[in-house]
Amino acid sequence: MKKTHIPKLDEFLGGGIPAGSSILFCAVPGVECEAFGYQILNGVIEDGYNGFIFTNVTEPHNIIYEFNRYGWDLNKYLKEGKAFFVDGSSNFIGIPPMGKYSIDELSQIEEVVLKAIDDVSDGVGVINNISTLIDYLEDDKIIEIINKWNECARVNNTILVYIFTKWDYKPELVDAVKSTVDSVVSLTSIEERVIIGQGFMVTSASWLHPKNSMVLYFVLQPGGVKIYIPKILVTGPYNAGKSSFVELISEESVSVDRMALEKFPTTIAMDIGHVDHNGFVADIFGTPGQERFDLMLDVLAKEAVGAFILVDSSAPQTFGRAKEMINKTQSEAIPKIIVANKQDLPGAMSPEKIREAMKLDKDIPIIPTIVSENNGVEMALDTLLKILYGD
Amino acid sequence: MVIKMIPCIESGIPGFEELTRSNGGTGGIPENTATLVYGPAKTGKSIFGNQFTYQGLLSGEPCLYITTDKGLKQFETSMNEFQWPIERYLEDNSLYVIDTISDVSKGKLPKSKTVVQSYINNPTDIMVKVGSGVHYIYRNNPRFRSVIDSATTLLAYNDNMLIIRVLKAYLMRVNEAGGTPIILYTENSADRIVETMLKSLVDNIIRLDGKELVVEAMKGIGKRSSPYLITDKGIEL
Repeated sequence: MKKTHIPKLDEFLGGGIPAGSSILFCAVPGVECEAFGYQILNGVIEDGYNGFIFTNVTEPHNIIYEFNRYGWDLNKYLKEGKAFFVDGSSNFIGIPPMGKYSIDELSQIEEVVLKAIDDVSDGVGVINNISTLIDYLEDDKIIEIINKWNECARVNNTILVYIFTKWDYKPELVDAVKSTVDSVVSLTSIEERVIIGQGFMVTSASWLHPKNSMVLYFVLQPGGVKIYIPKILVTGPYNAGKSSFVELISEESVSVDRMALEKFPTTIAMDIGHVDHNGFVADIFGTPGQERFDLMLDVLAKEAVGAFILVDSSAPQTFGRAKEMINKTQSEAIPKIIVANKQDLPGAMSPEKIREAMKLDKDIPIIPTIVSENNGVEMALDTLLKILYGD
Repeated sequence: MVIKMIPCIESGIPGFEELTRSNGGTGGIPENTATLVYGPAKTGKSIFGNQFTYQGLLSGEPCLYITTDKGLKQFETSMNEFQWPIERYLEDNSLYVIDTISDVSKGKLPKSKTVVQSYINNPTDIMVKVGSGVHYIYRNNPRFRSVIDSATTLLAYNDNMLIIRVLKAYLMRVNEAGGTPIILYTENSADRIVETMLKSLVDNIIRLDGKELVVEAMKGIGKRSSPYLITDKGIEL
């Protein structure tokens, strides 16, 4: 088993990738995928093994430059003989090739990469990018070549990492490519009108049943692939049930509160929770409802990607305050839902009446709940996550 | 009968609005549609793209400019030739340039955080940069423009079908975000079939032949044409 050195991914893969296996990073166009291959190569070499990069998308010196930007010294590994290139790019654009092997005719690809795999027994080979191969070779030929490479890798205990951008190819071809490898990691964009994030998910692995979780990430230069935990805000007027709501949706939560009038607790700084629901993770920040703590709202709301606005359905006199808090946390601009709490109290207004009273846009969902009975809470959570992450 | 007007944005080309005006509308390039500007070499296609870009910047609409023919330096020079200085817009980050041709690997640093490097033969990387560029621009102003100068070079360096896919993804991304994209392309530089596919990706088609500008297709209007000249102010109809 070799570590991928990509946060969370090793955990999902049961510790890493078994020697001799293949892994495909399958990305939708516009999602950063090359960094995954480069990060694995860098980590495996740091662990004391050798590796190569086959490139048909850019010249080796550009890849060295990209490595530098990530803060990894590929040049040193090249000099020490721990890494080498299979240059499948330079000859095609008429510049001198660089690397241990180079390709000047498409028919050589299969053999040359087989040699490279042989050279890095127990190590790793990164194939960047399958898409370019698809565009230059026949579909059947691609599958045949990948199968041969995987076979050779198995014999040599070499891990093969394939980078694949899923342009609008025929679905049968994409499925065929996926079926050639031991594990598939899907990289997608998470969209709220335009990209708000990128996520990865292990969709298959022959050596275990992968956890069905989507992890948000971004790629830093320097730094490489980093996990991103989005922040979701819970706000609303005093005594609307925010702390209880945070507590219910979180695996663990902490509330900074004190006893109001020495009778019941009220939040004086914030509630913090961490939610892990249907494979999505997020940090939850609850704001206090009392006006004297409004100076904190701005700080707590910073960089939130979504918001729950809690209201006491039986207290229409607080709706104005709820609108004010939406404004003060700048939640107008982010996806949000209204949690219409305390539906069990006498005089509780229906969601539609609340929409009317608060003059809310019809696109903002209003979910009726009774937080004290854990009624409707999951639906509220599902609704917001669906808006944020899509289906 | 109620005639629904199609909102247009100013092209920046003197005479173009008059040429494309219909039903009392303003004329110009229909907002949030995709346009292909094509024609033989040296007929002013890049100038068209540059004029369109500069007009947007003047009106406060940011622009995502993907250059595959000239590096940033040459792009700046060619803009300066017509007195369309872009330095200010690079500084205030309203002009976002994806430079796929300059070689920055030798240590030359980009001069602005909105000048990013990509590689002509790496469409995957170009699309990643387009994604982050659109996201950056869209946050600042949902009305924006985008230009690819040109599809010709992308086609020359990559498999044609791949580039058709890339352009499709590009147009989708810009359109989704509310932008108005233009693709420039030199006629006959790729197969006929590729050219047909290219035309099928867009809403509007404009051809320049050195003497005449022909609007071959445009949302809301029929075929129109006008003679043009290239002066020190750019293209003028």
